[in-house]
Amino acid sequence: MKLRRRSRSGRLAVEPADPVAAKPPVPTSLKIGAAILGIFVVVAAFAPLIATHDPAFQDLTDKLASPSAEHWLGTDQLGRDAFSRLVYAARTDLIVGFLAALFPLILGTTLGAIAGFFGGWVDTVISRVADAVQSFPVYVFLIALVFVLGTGVMPILVAFTAIAWVPYTRLIRTEILRAKGLDYVAAAVVAGLPHRRILFRHVLPNSVRQTVVYFMSDVILATVTLATLSFLGLGLPVEQPEWGRMISEGRTFLRNQWWLSTVPGLVIVALGMGYALIGDGLAQRLRGDG
Amino acid sequence: MGRFGFVLRRILGAIPLLIGITLFTFILLQLVPGDPALTLAGPRATEERVEAIREELGLDRSLPAQYVAYVGNLLQGNLGQSIRSKEPVTSIIRERTPVTVWLLGAALILSVSIAVPLGAHAARHRGGWIDHAIRVVSTFFLTMPPFWVGLMLLLVFALGAGWFPVGGFGETTAERLRAIALPAFTLALWIFPIQLQSFRSSMIDVDGSDYLQAGRSIGLEGLTLFRRYILRNATAAMVTLLAVQMGFMLFGAVIVETTFNLNGLGDAMVRAVSGRDFAVVQGITIVFAVAVIAINLLADVIVAALDPRVEIQ
Repeated sequence: MKLRRRSRSGRLAVEPADPVAAKPPVPTSLKIGAAILGIFVVVAAFAPLIATHDPAFQDLTDKLASPSAEHWLGTDQLGRDAFSRLVYAARTDLIVGFLAALFPLILGTTLGAIAGFFGGWVDTVISRVADAVQSFPVYVFLIALVFVLGTGVMPILVAFTAIAWVPYTRLIRTEILRAKGLDYVAAAVVAGLPHRRILFRHVLPNSVRQTVVYFMSDVILATVTLATLSFLGLGLPVEQPEWGRMISEGRTFLRNQWWLSTVPGLVIVALGMGYALIGDGLAQRLRGDG
Repeated sequence: MGRFGFVLRRILGAIPLLIGITLFTFILLQLVPGDPALTLAGPRATEERVEAIREELGLDRSLPAQYVAYVGNLLQGNLGQSIRSKEPVTSIIRERTPVTVWLLGAALILSVSIAVPLGAHAARHRGGWIDHAIRVVSTFFLTMPPFWVGLMLLLVFALGAGWFPVGGFGETTAERLRAIALPAFTLALWIFPIQLQSFRSSMIDVDGSDYLQAGRSIGLEGLTLFRRYILRNATAAMVTLLAVQMGFMLFGAVIVETTFNLNGLGDAMVRAVSGRDFAVVQGITIVFAVAVIAINLLADVIVAALDPRVEIQ
């Protein structure tokens, strides 16, 4: 622990030893993962430029065509260009999958911070609710929730947030309780730093990396689950291009047009591996063995 | 407070959870858009008829009174009836449960037989290239949407090679095993990575523990050490994990049954969802939730039997 005197104020500022100060080299997995994710972001952002056709345009005279120079991945059962739908679906899956993991992170972190910081009955209530949610088969509840809330992006985000916030709450709460017992935080309290400042300057930076690593595995799960809900006929509106729905629609034609289901699945796996590599790389940095 | 006390405490702890489930499904029922009495009565029913149904269902009473009546029905094993087939939900559940149990059982055996040897291997060669390779492969399977894996297996082994039926269940045990093979394998591929990672880390924990050091220092080695000290402790951790994973497995069963047209509970749930058949969705949600709680309770009992230390925790 380093104690450093701030120049003029004369107040003691206490800083934890900074683990990133040494700046270990960026792990290869992080680089590859970021590159994969980067490609997906570019494709989603420039979908209109990359797509070769209007993803919604139906040509019923040219249904279930095989891949060709005109239709790179052939056409689906309504004669829509599969490649263009795949490209546009990147927008849906990337954004909704990401938000479906981000919202629980925000809710969970906030609740965890409140529980850890204030303690007492607030902590008891939050922790008990967290225990209860954890004990339920939440993904089965997810189906029931989406069933009741209806299809669309908002119901999906609400349902995901309702079921996936618990691990973040636990993580932050534990981190705060641990930090409360640490010398430097005790010193900060003695030095009269306001609580908010202790939270933002000392506790959150320490838990951010762990949270991010967890988030990376959660975003994979959210993306896969989003596709799964679409596959089950829940989830997003039918007309919106989405990988899970493409797989589901291609299912009837598995025998002869196998690519219709195969390719969107491979794309999901590629995106998932991108996230996983980023998570792996961050975890390596977290352990400090870059 | 001995081990018995621990188990008793867990049983008592399950009661609020059960109440929570009934609250959850009851609130869901309130959130469903539309008037259930109107739905049941049909489009051409008279006002009096709708009113009569409302009274019959108890919808004219206050919410707390409705909740009490609802729980009363549940306790008598009455889960209502399907809007579509008019069949009692309980008989749908009874009919569908065996398929799901077969699927889960087979998937559990398969996944554990993949996860345990690989996890043990990875732990033994911790930090080496084998460990690394196993981690990459298991991550790879984690990113695969299970329904897609199922379709790919169907494409190759059922449509292509013709070794397995494309869907459905069988009558005889042999037929069933053949029908369940691909679905169970699909589910196993989805859940084994988490089991593997967890088994690997609990093996490493046990390996670094004091009692293992003690065991080694008194001259224990080889199989005795492995069986009595390592396996027993890692098994306790594994049992807990499997129970925790149960809810996730049930979600997997829903997906896999839909993919393979297996007429289990999950398939019934998805059909009920698309048919807006609320009583069935609700009934199966309750069955799944109660099953998860019961299995977790059972796991606690098993762990308490395996590991005398639980009473301290």
